Amino acid sequence: MARLTLPAQELMYRGHAACPGCGPALAMRLLLKGLGPRTVLSIPACCWTVIATPFPTTALGVAVLDNPIESTGASISGLRAAADALHLPDVTVVGFAGDGGTADIGLQALSGMLERRTDAIFVMYDNEGYMNTGVQRSGATPQGAWTTTTPVEGTRRGKREPKKEIMAIVLAHRPAYAATVNPAFPEDFVRKVETARDVRGPRFLHALAPCPPGWRFSSEETIDLGRLATETGLFPLYEVEEGVYRITRRAGTLKPVAEYVHRQGRFRHWTEEEVEELQAATRAGWERLLRREQETAPSLPPPTPPIGGTPAPA
Amino acid sequence: MREIRFHGRGGQGAVVASELLAQAAFLDGKEPQSFPFFGVERRGAPVTAYARIDDRPIGLRTSIVAPDVVVVLDPGLLGTTPVTDGLRPGGLLLVNSARPPERLAVPPGVYRATVDATAIAVEHGLGSRTMPIVNTTVLGALARASGVVSLEALQRAIDRYVPSRPRENRAAAADGFASVRLLDAVVPPERLAVPVAPGASPTIPEGPVATVPSRSIRTAAWRTLTPEIELARCTRCNFCWKYCPDDAIELDAQGFPRIVLDSCKGCGICAAVCPPRTIAMVGLEEAA
Amino acid sequence: MTREVLSGNAAQAYAVRLARAQVVSAYPITPQTTIVEQLSRFVADGTLDARFVEVESEHSALQVVVSASALGARSYTATSSQGLLLMHELLHWAAGLRAPIVMGVVNRAVAPPWNIGADHTDTISQRDTGWVQLYPESSQEVLDTVLQAFRLAELAEVRLPAMVNEDAFYLSHTVEPVDVPPAELVDRFLPPREGHAILRPGVVARLGSFTGPDHYVEFRHELARATDEVLRRLPEVEEEFRRLTGRTHGGALATYRTDDADAVLVTMGTMSTTARTVVDELRAAGRKVGLAKLRLFRPLPEEELRRLAGSVDRLGVVDRAFTFGASGPVAGEVRAALYAAPQRPRVDSFLAGIGGRDVTPGHVHRMFEELLGPDGAETVWEDLAPTEVGVHG
Repeated sequence: MARLTLPAQELMYRGHAACPGCGPALAMRLLLKGLGPRTVLSIPACCWTVIATPFPTTALGVAVLDNPIESTGASISGLRAAADALHLPDVTVVGFAGDGGTADIGLQALSGMLERRTDAIFVMYDNEGYMNTGVQRSGATPQGAWTTTTPVEGTRRGKREPKKEIMAIVLAHRPAYAATVNPAFPEDFVRKVETARDVRGPRFLHALAPCPPGWRFSSEETIDLGRLATETGLFPLYEVEEGVYRITRRAGTLKPVAEYVHRQGRFRHWTEEEVEELQAATRAGWERLLRREQETAPSLPPPTPPIGGTPAPA
Repeated sequence: MREIRFHGRGGQGAVVASELLAQAAFLDGKEPQSFPFFGVERRGAPVTAYARIDDRPIGLRTSIVAPDVVVVLDPGLLGTTPVTDGLRPGGLLLVNSARPPERLAVPPGVYRATVDATAIAVEHGLGSRTMPIVNTTVLGALARASGVVSLEALQRAIDRYVPSRPRENRAAAADGFASVRLLDAVVPPERLAVPVAPGASPTIPEGPVATVPSRSIRTAAWRTLTPEIELARCTRCNFCWKYCPDDAIELDAQGFPRIVLDSCKGCGICAAVCPPRTIAMVGLEEAA
Repeated sequence: MTREVLSGNAAQAYAVRLARAQVVSAYPITPQTTIVEQLSRFVADGTLDARFVEVESEHSALQVVVSASALGARSYTATSSQGLLLMHELLHWAAGLRAPIVMGVVNRAVAPPWNIGADHTDTISQRDTGWVQLYPESSQEVLDTVLQAFRLAELAEVRLPAMVNEDAFYLSHTVEPVDVPPAELVDRFLPPREGHAILRPGVVARLGSFTGPDHYVEFRHELARATDEVLRRLPEVEEEFRRLTGRTHGGALATYRTDDADAVLVTMGTMSTTARTVVDELRAAGRKVGLAKLRLFRPLPEEELRRLAGSVDRLGVVDRAFTFGASGPVAGEVRAALYAAPQRPRVDSFLAGIGGRDVTPGHVHRMFEELLGPDGAETVWEDLAPTEVGVHG
């Protein structure tokens, strides 16, 4: 057997009902590799409700509880309380919600869970819209993106408002651990999941999850687009533990955002000026993140391990 | 009353086809009805849509179980979906396929027709070879093969209701009408195809708890392209395994990848991420 | 057995402690608040070994206990009025997941206008969610009913959530002597919940799942069957409870002096106490009247209602809520239940005590008079002040 850079264990089963090239499916596969079998997942209404396949089958090799779209934060508080009350050992409690079920309708329950310091992991898989219902805008849809409710027609040019910054909202609650993950960088993804698994207290993972039908790109490009999201600085990979920021992937120079934008049908209507605006905002965001890292660094910052260099037990 | 059932894949336009047929029938002065089956609708996943056409208002609001016409937008569905279930004697099976209609397996007493709608659609710039938008071409073929709607009404409906490329879609419908191959003879009883048996109904537990691993579900029917690995050039980097969203790649004892064809949906990620480019995505008819 | 002076709300909390609930979660709302305050103190002083999850809404409170129950923890929450309405979606979840949660509900009027008085609109409007609904009338009955509700809810054949409903202030904040059974006795009646935790860490299972029309109806039918089982099991549970404590509260439909009655009032909750006193007064005056307290509203004890109808000429149903465009909701249900009865008495519909208005002996006297009088087909709004119809500002 060749050396694997990810755990061999497959807890997401084949046969699931995700679209070809589904980012959320790959995110789930990597997440469960990092979490292991003693995980209890709570999943609200989202793409994964359907992806996990109908009764009597399940695509998830762990214990799973369905919950309504808005209450994932509360559900994992309840699961944690029960696991503690029943003295169930080594249980990792995880909520896995889409961007709507996290940052829009699920925000109150998420805030409650973070504030009451539930010992659990909340994962937002961000496909930047209500994709299960057929591509409608969410608070996490990027500015200027086409969706069926933010058409490019008449006076409208896609979504008018900028993307909601869920990490900033989460970090305002001072979680024990928070990180961005991207399935295009699976070793970094799994390492952060393993880190999150072993930290106590409220933990949050923001997972980018490219959606071929929703973002209007061809299914084989999911990984390429994921890489570009990070390499352009649009979706930087970092983690925040006890308030200390650490960027986990540092490109020498950022790639132009145009490379990312021009490969997706949802941005097809964009002008050069719109691309330039995004470029400027992205650069500013990246610089802000660099400053954050410097400001919060302990006196001797730990060296950044190279991506893909963390071997995992096979 | 004529009952028509459409089989396609999510994203291919089966639902739009049945709606467009209803609009066209209305322009013919008929009383139409069209509705989709609301199930798991995923890009590539098999989907069903229905249409009824009559001279009088339709007094039914139920699924169509004994259609007069079955329209299959994707030949890849034939091996995995029981498309001819309930098809009435004297009815018609119309399939988007480059092959002659004699090759179609159908119940006795059924007429067969094929149209190479993929080639026609691509020729008119409707979709791509892997994701052709064949619905208007197939409707043109349906108009000719079944007579449930006139080509003229169909083209007026396209003008009114197809938002993008109405001219190309009109031309494609006309080409479908002109090139459909219809067999006059019905299939004799001895050539009866064995229908796919529906799965046994599971015992219902007291609470809604699902425990059967989904590995038993075949998602091969979603695929329009199949990855083929040239193992001689494989470096065993396992990128294909690492990035597969369907867990459809296994590594053997030596670390060489193998595609689990029952599960692969043909997304093409493995081919795209393979550093030495040893994976090719091959069309279904080429692969067969 | 100790005897303490407790409010209905305190009785809820005492019962939850005796039941050894493992997870409690609630959000404050008047007049439920004192239940959760008391439970917080019990957890703080160590006399209740439970996880108390402080939440940001009633919606989250119910989700917390639904999820906790799915892992096997005995779980309790409490709310009232608007809070219950906010929980509505999750009420369906709790029943559909077959989570044997017990919830205390203090029945309070629904806004607007704001009103914190007793009213059954909040719980009545949740009648189609699959929850068991019990309406005790005294602090003692509250304490006993919470224990019985846990026992009933957790039966393998039932596995349904149950509400124990108390009228705002008339019960929630009314203190009266209560026999508090010793813990050892309750432990014999209510052993630890076991055997039907549906989810277990390390075991592949998805609770909730999704289905098309192919299986959904079977799950709904299972729910219906479990609900029917409640009617069979409540008498057994009450009998077990009586053997241990010597107390009984009369099962699903507690009748009082109905045997030879010409006219019987059907009530729920605290007005039953007052009505019972009036029955005694009228009996003393030679009037053949009786009382049937509907203690179990969901599932509706239709058989018992039909049995009652077999011996009386007139039933008057007193509702503390109204179904707009129809009648008093309980009256409507009683009428429907009696449609199949061999003998169908006249069923009058009375509304009383809406929005915390007092239901006095005088009101009960008047209702009996109307019931014994000529035809009463229309719903009677008791004690209604004259209004200027159609005038706004």
